[in-house]
Amino acid sequence: MNRIRRYLAACMLIGGLGVSATLWAADEARAPAASVGAATAKATPAPAAAGKEAICTKCHDENEPTPLLSFYQTKHGVKGDPRTPTCQTCHGESEKHLKGDPNIKGRPATDVVYKKGAFAASDDKVRAGQCLTCHKGTNRTRWEGGQHDANGVACNDCHKVHQPADKVLSKKAQTEVCFTCHKEQRAQSHKISTHPIDAGKVVCSDCHNPHGSAGPKLLKKATVTETCFTCHAEKRGPFLWEHQPVTEDCANCHTPHGSNISPLLKSRAPFLCQECHDGPHNSKTPYGALSGGFQAVPPGSLAVPNENAAGRGCINCHSMVHGSNHPAGALLHR
Amino acid sequence: METCNEKMKISLMALAVQGALTAMFALPLAAYAADESEELAALKRPTNSVEIGVDGVSKKSAKFGEYTGLDKSGAKLIGNFDIRGGNAYDGGGGTTRWSINGRDLGLTSRSAGATISNQGQWTIGIGYDELRHNISDTYQTPLQGVVGGNIFTLPPTFGYVGAQPLAPATVTLDATKLGAFHTVDVGTTRKNTSFNAGYNFNPQLSVQFGYNRLKQSGAKLMGSGTLGTKDVAAGGGTWRAEAISILMNPTNYQTNNIDLALNWIGDKGHLTGSYYSSRFSNGYDRFTWENAYKSGAAVSAPCGFPPCTYQTTTMSTAPNNDFHQLNVSGGYAFSSSTKLAGGISYGRNTQNAAFLTGNLTTVPEIPAAFILPQVSLNGLVVTRHADLKLTHQATKDLALSAGFKLNERDNRSPANIYQYWALNGNGGTVALPAGIDVATNAPYSNKKTELELAGDYRLDKRQSLRLAYVHEKISRWCNGMVLPYSNCVVVPSNSEDRLGLSYRLRTADGVGFNASYTYAARKALFNHDAVTPLAGLNLNVVAVTLPTDVNAQDYPGFAAHIYDSRRQHLLKAAANWQATEKLDLSLTGRYVHDKYDAYLGVQNSRTTGLNLDATYSRAENASYSAYMSWQRSRRDLRSGLSVPANAAANAGPSYAALLASVALNPLSIWSNQLTDNGSAIGIRSKHTGLMNGKLELDGDLSYSFDTTGYATQLQYVSAQCSPTNMTACGALPDIKSRLLTLKLIGSYQLNKSDKLGLGLIHQKLTADDYFYNAYLYGSAPLRIMPTNQQSGSYSANVVAVSYIHTFR
Repeated sequence: MNRIRRYLAACMLIGGLGVSATLWAADEARAPAASVGAATAKATPAPAAAGKEAICTKCHDENEPTPLLSFYQTKHGVKGDPRTPTCQTCHGESEKHLKGDPNIKGRPATDVVYKKGAFAASDDKVRAGQCLTCHKGTNRTRWEGGQHDANGVACNDCHKVHQPADKVLSKKAQTEVCFTCHKEQRAQSHKISTHPIDAGKVVCSDCHNPHGSAGPKLLKKATVTETCFTCHAEKRGPFLWEHQPVTEDCANCHTPHGSNISPLLKSRAPFLCQECHDGPHNSKTPYGALSGGFQAVPPGSLAVPNENAAGRGCINCHSMVHGSNHPAGALLHR
Repeated sequence: METCNEKMKISLMALAVQGALTAMFALPLAAYAADESEELAALKRPTNSVEIGVDGVSKKSAKFGEYTGLDKSGAKLIGNFDIRGGNAYDGGGGTTRWSINGRDLGLTSRSAGATISNQGQWTIGIGYDELRHNISDTYQTPLQGVVGGNIFTLPPTFGYVGAQPLAPATVTLDATKLGAFHTVDVGTTRKNTSFNAGYNFNPQLSVQFGYNRLKQSGAKLMGSGTLGTKDVAAGGGTWRAEAISILMNPTNYQTNNIDLALNWIGDKGHLTGSYYSSRFSNGYDRFTWENAYKSGAAVSAPCGFPPCTYQTTTMSTAPNNDFHQLNVSGGYAFSSSTKLAGGISYGRNTQNAAFLTGNLTTVPEIPAAFILPQVSLNGLVVTRHADLKLTHQATKDLALSAGFKLNERDNRSPANIYQYWALNGNGGTVALPAGIDVATNAPYSNKKTELELAGDYRLDKRQSLRLAYVHEKISRWCNGMVLPYSNCVVVPSNSEDRLGLSYRLRTADGVGFNASYTYAARKALFNHDAVTPLAGLNLNVVAVTLPTDVNAQDYPGFAAHIYDSRRQHLLKAAANWQATEKLDLSLTGRYVHDKYDAYLGVQNSRTTGLNLDATYSRAENASYSAYMSWQRSRRDLRSGLSVPANAAANAGPSYAALLASVALNPLSIWSNQLTDNGSAIGIRSKHTGLMNGKLELDGDLSYSFDTTGYATQLQYVSAQCSPTNMTACGALPDIKSRLLTLKLIGSYQLNKSDKLGLGLIHQKLTADDYFYNAYLYGSAPLRIMPTNQQSGSYSANVVAVSYIHTFR
């Protein structure tokens, strides 16, 4: 009997030690979280943090295929901010969804459904309207009637509010979101001459305000030139000698998303220049195969490129096409 | 008692058994619960990461590393980190969050930043972003000087480059000259430092401040023509006109931008008042280089006795300028269905950099009356903007909107007459010495107004129609023009009407479809008697009384397409089909046809584009996507070879007189077509959970192929277009670029918190462009100093290995 007792006591000891070690290890692993938990416990919870979302998270917990609880990492998860919404702020009170409907299989949809899944998505105006209730003014001043609004795009078509890293807010990933719809621009971004879009250094929102704008093409500024001058201020002038189309619209000559003609040109000099000039100097001269170079020239023929046509063409000499402040720069030479 | 003790002994025994059983069964459950908490913590708390490793680049290529910093072969450091913290995680009551991050720290495309915020109260952020733009690593020049500097000289023994031949020929340089050429890596480096802060006074009122300093160094390549006139400083010697050197234009720039905004948000309205300032400064007011081209010298003349004395030529740089703007924008909701939004702004753009003076810049030896009219431009452009939009949900199914926009650029810079050495050495009249030209600057102004009316009607729950009408008007003028240049623009106004109809469908079973058609008609109001100063420079007399160069010196009947009357048809369509829960398909298309009215100029252009996308989500941890894009565009240009008689024939006192004296001559007409074709395909796969959940792998394969071509036809002397003499006709070589990219990026989970990052990139660019023929030694024409710059084709590989540590 004593032997049995000793055996059982040994079992308890070993079991206890083992369990203690396990718990100690678990505590250690949890330590950082626990300390933050302790810190947050000391903070005074705001009204919004009263756990209203618990009514949702008791079902929509960490086992959801698309994790919802990661919204605590987003700005919407900062419960100390009195403006912070609960699930129902955005999805509606959704009483039917909460209580269930005995007459139908499964639960009915929430009042507002953002993404098509088991339920059809709500109308884009309804979805956007929920967000605009709080997010009004500033960048969204001109949302109503803007291009995205008019084309049925709602906020959650681009933003992922439950995910800690919203792709559209990341320079590295933003284009992936925009290119979902803007496919021509995606193809153009693979051309030989581009802004550093692929490198994530210039992204769509550097020039565009997708929430509505006073400018064309949802540009951030009221005009194309003003938008471009944000980075290219050296071309702003005013110059002593101005080039008329430059003062009106950079897109008269440039295509900003990518081109086969560097630097981001719609066409190449001299042909680009000849679209507007047919008189002064060589702007009236036709240029053919030989003037370009030897690749297309028949064997034995003269193959000296014409300096007005090859290379920079007219811009070999008229290099100050954006304007010149040189007193001798009337023809944009200096 | 003893009995009791005995019982006690038994119960102790029982407790021991129960404890052991508890330890065996219950405690693992506790451990399970602990794991569950960790899972929750993983969702609620951010994952921090630190990554360090090495990139190995197989080949040097400025084009491959154009923006990535991977332009040199060899090893590069990988350094990334992203660390976040604060008491506002976990759904607790805290509001503080902070983050620090750094990316590509071992590359010239590095960035770093930090933010701290007390959400709802204040936020502060700083950032640094660096970008090296590698432009060329094959550019060669005999000029000596550092990239980014502003003084370039020739070696004293370089010698001269001689006379202009009658027939085209390639430039020949002697061994001394060729030996002076050296390769320079040309590019710019942009460093952007930023600071931003925000403060909420209360839920209604907040202020935001942003500052960024954009500092740029390095140089860009640019062309330059040299002067065919006397070098006064050198005491004589006739230099050759319009000979071309490709130069390193320094970009010693700094732009300081400030944004300050005060926001108010009320129940029904919101208002933002802001101030924007952008101040540009250039470290150089000029750059100079020495010119080896000399008339009368042998084709490739060495320096003998006396030694070389080159012409020093000056190029201006972008002048310092300031822009200050005040903005007010806001909105008001009259009701939930009627809203008004808009804004106004007023800006002043000033520039008053001192004009360059000195030899070959101004004309010091001509009479004092012709000296610079002012020492700087004293330039001022006032910009004004206003916009207003009213939206109204008239009924449940009908939404209406009306909007108005105004943008004005009012250039109030003074206009004056300037005399200067002409680049081509021509000119000269009884009043002025040879080589002197005269011009007056034109401060271009324009005003654009736009009225938009639109209605959206919902046919049913799934279908809607939109009808939109836009009227746009642009006016152009120049303030204070010097007579006789009272008119400076050939098209003082354009008006355009656009009418568009679009249809949208969303079905319950995942089909989306929309299509739109827009018709636009633009009308130009011409003033062919206008003398545009940039074109009308044959006025080699000062005391002119009448304009003599009409229609901007362009052939009668010619109009610049960007101002010409035009009709446009625009068709767009997109279809989206969620075929199954796993498969998404989409097809979009676009067609634009522009037709211009002018007899000469761009006649029409057409663009067609198609895009096909498919996404297949095989499982939660595996998805594939593929796309194909195809675009084709064509532009037809018709132009006149020359004014039939000579320049004098173009010197009618009016356009009507010119037309009367110079009939449109169909024999002098030529045409040119631009075709631009582009195709892109891509396949992408994403896998997680491979190898027992340890491996994540993203694969990306893309290929794009672009071709641009120009073809010219002469419609007057067909004999000129023989196979061996196609200087003026025939097709130029196609400009082709093919880009193949394969990216495999993955990570292997070593343990709970450590990963091994793996990356493989293969990229191949095949570029074929006649652009470079003009600069290659052996094919460069005599009047161009060769640079030997190459097209940038490359085939490069990158292998990356890194260690990633994650923690919370």
